Amino acid sequence: MKAVFIAYNQALTEKVEFILDRMKIRGYTRWNQVQGRGSEDGEPHMGTHTWPALNDTILTIVPDEKVKELMETLRKLDSKTKMQGLRAYVWNVEDSL
Amino acid sequence: MRIYETAVKKPVTTILIFFGVVIFGLFSLRYLPIDLYPEIEPPIVTVFTFYQGASAIDIETNVTRLLEDQLNTVNNLKKLTSTSRDNISVLMLEFEWGSNLDEATNDIRDVLGRAEAFLPEDADKPILFKFSTSMIPIMMLSATAEESYPALTKLLDDAIVNPLNRVEGIGAVSLSGGPKREIQVNVDPGKLEAYNVSVEQLGNLIRQENLNLPGGTLDIGSFSYPIRVEGEYKGADEIANLVVGNFEGRTVRMRDVAVVKDTIAKMTIDERSNGRQGARIIIQQQSGGNAVEIAKEVNAMLPSLMESLPADVQLNMIFDTSEFIENSINSLATTILYAGVFVVLVVLFFLGRWRATFIIILTIPVSLIVSFIYLYVTGNTLNIISLSSLSIAIGMVVDDAIVVLENITSHIEKGASPREAAIYGTNEVGLAVVATTLTVVAVFFPLTLIQGLSGIMFRQLGMIVTLVVIVSTLAALTLTPMLASQMMRAQPPRKTGVIKVIFDQIEKFLGWLDDIYENTLRFAVRRRWLVVVSSVGLFFGSLFLLPIVGVEFFPPADNARMEVSVELPMGVGLEKTKVVARQIENTFLEKYPEVEVISTSAGVADDGNIFAAFSDNGSHIINFTMRMSPSTERDRDIYEIGDLMRADLSSIPEIDNFRVDPGGGGGGLGSGASTVEVIISGFDLDITGDLADQMAEAMNNMDGLRDVEISRDRSSVEYQLVLDREKMALHGLNTSQVANALRNRIQGLTAAQFREDGEEYDIVVRYDEQFRTSLDHVENIMIPNSQGVFIRLSEIGGLQEYFSPPSIERENRQRVIRVTASIFNASLTDVVRDIRAEFAKMDVPAGIGMDIGGTVEEQQEAFADIFLLLGLVIILVYIVMASQFESLRSPFIIMLTLPFAFTGVFLALFVTGHTLNLISLIGSVMLVGIVVKNGIVLVDYTNLMRDRGLPLKEAVVTAGKSRLRPVLMTTLTTALAMIPLAMGIGEGSEIWQPMGVSIIGGLMFSTLITLILIPVVYTLFGANRMKREQKRLEMMELELQ
Repeated sequence: MKAVFIAYNQALTEKVEFILDRMKIRGYTRWNQVQGRGSEDGEPHMGTHTWPALNDTILTIVPDEKVKELMETLRKLDSKTKMQGLRAYVWNVEDSL
Repeated sequence: MRIYETAVKKPVTTILIFFGVVIFGLFSLRYLPIDLYPEIEPPIVTVFTFYQGASAIDIETNVTRLLEDQLNTVNNLKKLTSTSRDNISVLMLEFEWGSNLDEATNDIRDVLGRAEAFLPEDADKPILFKFSTSMIPIMMLSATAEESYPALTKLLDDAIVNPLNRVEGIGAVSLSGGPKREIQVNVDPGKLEAYNVSVEQLGNLIRQENLNLPGGTLDIGSFSYPIRVEGEYKGADEIANLVVGNFEGRTVRMRDVAVVKDTIAKMTIDERSNGRQGARIIIQQQSGGNAVEIAKEVNAMLPSLMESLPADVQLNMIFDTSEFIENSINSLATTILYAGVFVVLVVLFFLGRWRATFIIILTIPVSLIVSFIYLYVTGNTLNIISLSSLSIAIGMVVDDAIVVLENITSHIEKGASPREAAIYGTNEVGLAVVATTLTVVAVFFPLTLIQGLSGIMFRQLGMIVTLVVIVSTLAALTLTPMLASQMMRAQPPRKTGVIKVIFDQIEKFLGWLDDIYENTLRFAVRRRWLVVVSSVGLFFGSLFLLPIVGVEFFPPADNARMEVSVELPMGVGLEKTKVVARQIENTFLEKYPEVEVISTSAGVADDGNIFAAFSDNGSHIINFTMRMSPSTERDRDIYEIGDLMRADLSSIPEIDNFRVDPGGGGGGLGSGASTVEVIISGFDLDITGDLADQMAEAMNNMDGLRDVEISRDRSSVEYQLVLDREKMALHGLNTSQVANALRNRIQGLTAAQFREDGEEYDIVVRYDEQFRTSLDHVENIMIPNSQGVFIRLSEIGGLQEYFSPPSIERENRQRVIRVTASIFNASLTDVVRDIRAEFAKMDVPAGIGMDIGGTVEEQQEAFADIFLLLGLVIILVYIVMASQFESLRSPFIIMLTLPFAFTGVFLALFVTGHTLNLISLIGSVMLVGIVVKNGIVLVDYTNLMRDRGLPLKEAVVTAGKSRLRPVLMTTLTTALAMIPLAMGIGEGSEIWQPMGVSIIGGLMFSTLITLILIPVVYTLFGANRMKREQKRLEMMELELQ
C-alpha cells in the first residue's frame, strides 16, 4: 500500500479523474482550490490577482502494483501539458483502518 | 449565513416577521372595498354636439363629418364611430386599451377648439364625455303611488333623494319618470283672434308680471327701510286674473282667452313598477366607492326615510348590484375554504403526520394574506377576480413546503437532529424549490402583460398568483424549516387504535399503488414505440373534439336580471304604447313567477337628458327591467326564460321589433350573451338599408342567432312647413318669426317660473290640446307681424309630408348600418361562416362593404393575445427549466407533457359541456406552468439515478417509483383545490367554472400521461446521453496517448 499525493492545476481535474477511473482506483481524498507554488520554476498558483490559477490536490492510497502505472500515466500527462503544472509524490502507508 | 439557516437559528424573529405580515394583511382586508370587478375605464370618449332644429342629414353634413375629419388625427385613435340624429351628433372615439385617456381628452379638446370655428352658428359647443364603470347604477328603486301620485316627484326629492345624496360614496341619486308640476296656460286661438292678442303677448305679460325687485332703501327719520316690489305669483289663479288688454271698452282678462291650470306636465314617458304608476330612483356610486357598503347604508336608511312618505307611496328595489356582489364574494370565500379543506386532507392522507400537516397548512394563510396587502397598497378592490386568484393559488402554495418538509423528515428518519436536518434538508432542495416557483412565475407574470379588456381581468390574477407563490416559497424556505426544527421528532411507532388502523390501510394502499405503477412502467419501457404511437394518436384524436366543444368568447352568467326592449311601429303615440306595455307586463307576471319586480318605462326620457342621447328614444319604445328571484332558488335560468319571453313577444302583432337581454346590457363583464354584428358600409342610404334588411332576414333564419336588430330605424314620416319667402316678405315676416311662432303654439312657450317653497315650476303658454290635433289647426295658426296684423299660416306656406331617416351612423368616416344579433347555443366561428356565405349570395353593388364585428372582433383580439401569451409562456418556462437542468434535452422531454394537458382540457370541456372560451383558455395557459412541475420532479430524479450509474431502464423505473407519491400529492392538492371552483357553487362563480374544469382535466390527464410517457421518452433520448459520454472518454484516451 502506497500513498500517492497529486497536486495539479485545477484545469487538469477532468483528466486526473479519468486516469483514476480508468485504473479502477475508487478511493481518494481531494482538497479543492488550494494554493501552491513550484520549488524551481513555473507560475505560482495563488488565486490572487497576480497569480490567478489555483491547484487541486488528491491523496489516494493504492496497492503497490498500481503505483508504477499511475506515476507513468501522470508523467505522460505532465509532459504533454508542461505549462499547467502537475506533481505527484509517493510514500509508504504504515497502517490503515 | 443563508436564509434558512438564519430562520432556524432565530425562531422568534422568523415567527414574528410572519406574524407581522399576517396582522398587516388582515388590517388591509378590513379596509378593502368590495366590488364585482376591478374598475374598468373603457377607452372611449364621446363628443356630443347639439344643433337644435337640424335633421339627421343636416347634422351629418354640417357637424358630424366636420368633426370626424378633424378628430381623425388624434393620437392612438382606434375607431371612430358616430351617430347623427335629429338635433344631435354623437361621436364615439375608441382608443387602444391602456392608452392615457387624460392625454387623449386634451388632444380632443385642442382639435375641437380648432373645429368650432367651422361649426354652424347655432350649433352648441361640443361636449366631451367619458364613461366609466362607476357610472353604472348600483341600485335602482321604483316608487309607486296612488292618491299622492301628482306630488310624487317633490315627495321623493325631499324624503329620499336629498338624504341619500348625503351618504358617503354615493355619486348621484337621480329621479326619472316622476310627474312634473307645470302651470299651463291653454289658449283658445279663436278667442285670441277675436280679442286681437297673440301667444307671444300673453307670454311677455306673464313674464313681466312675475317679478320681485328691491327698490333701494328709504330713510325715514333716523331709520332706513328697504323697499321692494313683490309681484311674483302666489298661485295659479293670479295668472288667470291678469289683465290682458281692453276690447271695446271692456277689460279682457287671461281667463277670457285661456284656461289656466296648475297641473302635471304631459308625460312623455310612462314609468311603472309591477304595473303601478310611479317613478324610478337611480343610485350611482362615486368612483372608488364601495358598492356593498353604500347599499348597506341605503338599505338601513330606507325604512326610516319611508316613514316620512304618505302611506300610499311604496318603494321597491328593482335591482341592487351589491346583493349579487355579496353573494358572489361569499360563495368564493366558501370556495377557498373548501379548497383549503381538500388540501389538508390530501396532505394528511399522504404524510399521515399531524405535525407535518400543520406545518404545511400554515403556509396557506401566510401566503394568501399577503395578497390583501398588495390589493390594499395598489388601491384595488376585493372582487371576483382577486378572490378566484386566491382559490387558484391555494393548491400551489403548499407544494414547496411539501418538498422541503419531506426532505427534512427523511433526514430526521436517518438520525440527524431536527435542527441540523432542517438546515441541510432545506439546503438540498432549496434550488429545486426556487426553480419550480420560477416556472409558475414564468406563467403567471406574463398574464399581467395582456392588453385589452381581458388584460384588466387577468392583470390581478397574474399579480396575485405570482406574489402568493413567491411568498409561499419564502415561507417554505424559512418558516417551514424553522417550525420543523422546533416541532418534528423522529417518528415513534404509532400506538394501536382507530388512527393506526386508518393510516396503516392508507399506507398499504399507497404501497399497492407504487407496485402497480412499477409494473406498468416496466411494461411500458419494454414496448416503447407502442406507448409513443398511442400517445400521439390520443393527442391528435382529441383535436377532433375541438369542433364539438365549440368556441365562444365569454361564458354567460346568471345575475338574476333581465332587460327587454320592445319597439312598436315608428310613430305610435304614448297612449297606445302604454296599452301594449300593460299587456306585456301582465303576460310576464302571469307566466313567470320568477319575476319579482318588473319595471317598465315607455316613451321618451326628458329632453336634454344626456343618457337619452345614448339610446334610441321615442314614444313607440318600451323598456322593461326585471329582477328575478336568486338563481339558486329557481329551476329555469335567465337564458331559458329569455327564450320563452321571445316566443311570447313574437306572438304579439303590434310589436315591430324586440330585444331580450338576459343579464342586462350594462351589467359589466361576464353577463349578457355574446353578440355578432354585421357592418354594412356604403354611402347610399337606400341600398345599404335594403342590404341590411336582407341580411337581417337571413340572420333571422339562422339557428344560432336571436334578437336580430338593424341599427338604423325605419324612416319616419315628418311634416315640414314649406314657406314662400316672397309672400312672407310681403307680409313683413321672416322664417325665424314664423318658426318661433309655430313652436310657441305647439311645443309651448315657457313664459316664466312659478316659485313655491324654494322650487321652481314652468309656466307654459300654448294652444289648448284640442286646437293642435290636425294639420288644419296648424295651417290656421295666426302669426302677428311687426305692424300687429295677424297673418294666417296657410297664406305664406304649406305643410308637406316627408320621409327622413331618424339617424345616420358612421364608422371610420363611412356611413354604416349594423345588423346585430345575439348568439345562442352556437359557436361564433360557425355563425361567422354562415354570415359570410349569406353575404356572398347577395347582389352587392360596387362601393359597398361588409365587415363582421361585435363580440367577434373583441374575441379575435383577445384570443390572439392569449395565443401570443401561450407562446411566450412556453418559451419562458423552457428557459427556466433549461437553465435549471443546464440541458436543452431534459426540458424538451418535460415539455412533451403539454399537448396532453390540452387533450385533457378538451376532454374535460367535452364531458362537462363547457366551451372553449377566454376563461378556459387562460386556464390552459396556467396549465403550462402547473403540469411541467411533475415532469421536473420526475426527470430531475431520473437524471440523478443515471448519474449514480444505474442502467437506463432501471434508472427510469426506480425514479418513477420513488417520485410517484410527491407527484400525486402536488397534483392532487392543486386539482382538488380547484374542485369547488369547477363545480360553480353559488351565484356568479359559474364564470370561473370553465377554468376550474380545464385545469382539473388538463392536470389529471397530463399527469397520467406524464407518469408513463415521460419515462419512455427518456429512455429514447437517454441512450443518446450515453453515447455522448462514450465519445468524451474516447477523446480523453486519445489525449493521453
